[in-house]
Amino acid sequence: MTDIAAYAARADAWLKSVAAEFGSAARRGLSEADDLALGRRYLKARFDAGYAGINWSPEFGGQGLSHIEKIAFETEELKYGMPAAYFGISLGMPVPIMMKFCEDKAFVRERVLKALQGEEIWCQLFSEPAAGSDLAGLRLRAEPDGNGWKLNGQKLWTSYAHHADYGVIVARTDPAAPKHKGLTYFWVDMRAPGVEARPIKLAGGDAHVNEVFFDDVRIDDSNRLSPVGGGFGVAMTTLMIERYVATDSAGFGPHLGLFVSLAQEMKINGKSAIEDGRIRSAIARNYAMRNGLDAITARAMLMMQAGMEPGPEGSLNKLVSVRSRQKLSELAIDLQGTDALHYDEHASTKDNWQTSWITAPTGRIAGGADEMLLNTIAEKILGLPQDHRPDKGVPFNQIPA
Amino acid sequence: MSLLYDAGQLAIATEARRVLEARVEFAALLPLLEQQGEYHAAFWETAKEQGWTALALPEAYGGLDLSLVELGLIALQAGRTLSGAPFLTSSYGAARAILDHGTDDLKIAWLPRLASGDAIGAVAFAEAQDVVPANAAVTFAGGKLDGVKPSVSAGLKADIAIVLASEAGTPVLVAADLAGVARQGFNTFDNSRCTANLVFQGTPAQVLASGDTAIQAALHVLALQAVVTAHEQTGGAEVLMEKARDYANTRRAFGSLIGAFQSVKHRIAELYGLVELARAGALHAATRIGQPDFLKAAAAARIQATEAYDTAARDCVQIHGGIGVTWEGGLHLHMRRARTLAVEQGNMLFWEDVLVDQLMGELA
Repeated sequence: MTDIAAYAARADAWLKSVAAEFGSAARRGLSEADDLALGRRYLKARFDAGYAGINWSPEFGGQGLSHIEKIAFETEELKYGMPAAYFGISLGMPVPIMMKFCEDKAFVRERVLKALQGEEIWCQLFSEPAAGSDLAGLRLRAEPDGNGWKLNGQKLWTSYAHHADYGVIVARTDPAAPKHKGLTYFWVDMRAPGVEARPIKLAGGDAHVNEVFFDDVRIDDSNRLSPVGGGFGVAMTTLMIERYVATDSAGFGPHLGLFVSLAQEMKINGKSAIEDGRIRSAIARNYAMRNGLDAITARAMLMMQAGMEPGPEGSLNKLVSVRSRQKLSELAIDLQGTDALHYDEHASTKDNWQTSWITAPTGRIAGGADEMLLNTIAEKILGLPQDHRPDKGVPFNQIPA
Repeated sequence: MSLLYDAGQLAIATEARRVLEARVEFAALLPLLEQQGEYHAAFWETAKEQGWTALALPEAYGGLDLSLVELGLIALQAGRTLSGAPFLTSSYGAARAILDHGTDDLKIAWLPRLASGDAIGAVAFAEAQDVVPANAAVTFAGGKLDGVKPSVSAGLKADIAIVLASEAGTPVLVAADLAGVARQGFNTFDNSRCTANLVFQGTPAQVLASGDTAIQAALHVLALQAVVTAHEQTGGAEVLMEKARDYANTRRAFGSLIGAFQSVKHRIAELYGLVELARAGALHAATRIGQPDFLKAAAAARIQATEAYDTAARDCVQIHGGIGVTWEGGLHLHMRRARTLAVEQGNMLFWEDVLVDQLMGELA
C-alpha cells in the first residue's frame, strides 16, 4: 500500500467511526439550524482528529501535509454526506486568501483556527446582479473615506452569507479605469453596520445563497488584500487554490450503481427495464464517460505524487459530470413513471433522483458556467481566439449598460 | 501497471510518431480507397522494422515482452496517421489466442512468424450482426472447417485465422492455416482494411477451446483487440481535433477568425473533452489486463473511443466547411476509418451490452 493509500485508509476508518454521529443518516430531517450546529460539532471533531487544514502550514493550525492528502481525505469524506458544506467555501477560498494576503498574521491565525473548528464562517462576495460569468463587470463601489473605504452596492449568489462572520469582497474603486483594472480586494466583517444578507430560495426549495446589501459600510484600509486596482489578480489567485479539490465523476449526484439498481426494479412493457436497449445504452455511455473521468483523476493523483503538475484535462470533470447527472436524473424520473412525482425536498442529491435533477442546473452555473468552462478549454488549452469583447480596454463608466 | 507512462513508454510514443509522420502521407492513402486488396506497404514495413509486431508478445517466441500499454501507444500514433493496414490489431488478436490456448507446436509454428510480421493473423468471429455467435454457421467436424466467415478484417492477406465455429451445436474456437482457403474480396468504404469473406471447404483447423470456454476466449480476444483499437480511435480523434483547431485558427469569416465564434470554439472544446476521456479510458483498460475487471474496462474504453472518433470526424468536417468534403482534402479518410473501426471487433451496441452485463454481474 502506498503512503497515500494508507493515509486514505486511516481517514476512512476515522470517518466511519463518526459517521453515525454526523453522516447522512444522522442529518435526515434536521432543521437548517440544527444541521449547521451538527456541522460545527463535526468540524471540531475533524480538527481534533487531525484532518483539518490538511495542506495548510502548522503555523496556522494546519497539518503541513500536501494537497494530495487533502484530496484523499475529501474523496473519502464525500462518501459519508457529512455536514461540511457550510464550511466548504469558507475554508476553500476566503481563508486561504487571508493566509496569503492579509498582513496581520496574529489576526489571521486566530481567524483560521476558529474557521477550522467550525466556530466562524467566511463567505466570498464576488457575483452581482450584473456580474456573474463576467466577474470584472461588477459594480459594488468602494470609495475612499478618511483612512479607509466606504462600500455601497449589492452582491448576489453569496453562499452561506447568512451564516457568515466574515467575507472577502471585490469592489470597484476606479470606475474610470478599464473594467479589470479598477477593482480592489478587501475583507469585511459581516456583522458590521450596513451589511444585510437576505437568503434567496432556490428552485429545489433550499436557501443557501443570498443577496447581500452594503449600505455605507465603513472598513479600514488594513482590510485591503490587494493593491488598489489589483483586485482582479487576487480574485484569479482564488481559482488557482481551487485546482486541488476532490472531484466526483457522478457530478455530486447519485452513483451509477443506483441507476442500475433502479433499472433492475422498474419495468418497461412488462419486462425489466435493465433489458431495454435505451436504458442499457444510457447506462453504458454514462459508465464509459465516468470511467474516463475517474482515470483522469487517478492519473492526476499519480502525477502529483510524482511531483508533476497534472494535465489540464482535470478541468473536464465539472463540465462533463454535472450535465450528464442532469440527464441521467431525468431518465431515472422517466423510469419511475408517475411514481416519480413523489417529492421530498429534504432528500439528498447523492441518493435521490428528483433532488439530483432539480438541483443539477445550479451545478452547471455556479463556479463557472458550462459555457465559460468551454471558453477556458478553447482559449487556454487549445489556443483558440477570445470571443469578440467590445468592452475590452474601454473605461468601465463608458461601457454601454 | 501504472496510469503514468514511464520514460521508456514515452520514448516509444515519440519515436513511433516521428517515424509515422515521416513515412505516411495522405497522398499515399487516397488511391488505396479505390483499389481492392491493397494496403499501405510503407506502414506495414515500418511496423515490422520497428518491432511493433513483436511488441506485446513473449520473448520466447521472438517478442519484446512489453505490454498492452506500449502496443496501445503505437496504435494511438498509428491512428493519428491513419494506419495503412489492419494487421497490427488483427495479428495481435490471433497471436494472443494461440498463446493463451494453443498447443506448443502451434505456438512454435506461428508465434515467431506473427512476431516478426512475416505472417499475418486474422480474427474471424462475427457473422453479420452477430459479433460472437454461440451457434456459428461455420461448422467444425472431424478436424475440418466448412462455411463462410463474412467480412473478416485483413482476410485478404492473412496467413492464419482464429475462427469461432460450431461443432455439433457447441461453440468451438479453432486456428486455421489459410493457405489454400478462398477469399472473396469486395468493395468497402475503407479498402486498405483488406476485408474479405473466408470460404472454408474442408479446411483443417486445430481446436483452441470449446463450449463456453470458446465463447469466453473469443470475448477475451475481442477485448484485447478493443483496447488496441480504442487507442487507435483516440489517435484519430485527437488528430482531427487538432486539425479543426488549426483550421479555426487560420480561416477568417465575417472579419474574424472562425475560432472566435462560440459555435465553432465550443465544438472544438467538446472534442478536446471527448479525446481526453477516450485517452484516459483506453489507458486505464490497458493497465487492467489480467484483472477481473478487464472486460468491463475494455468495453468502457471501446465505447468512449468510438464516440470520440465518430464525433471528431463529424465535427471536424463540419468546421472545415466545403473544403472538408473534398476528395483531396482527405478528411473522408478519417470518416471512413472511424466507421470501419466502429464496426470491426464488435459495434457500439455489442459493447454496450457487454458493459451493462458486467455492471449487473457486480451488483448481483
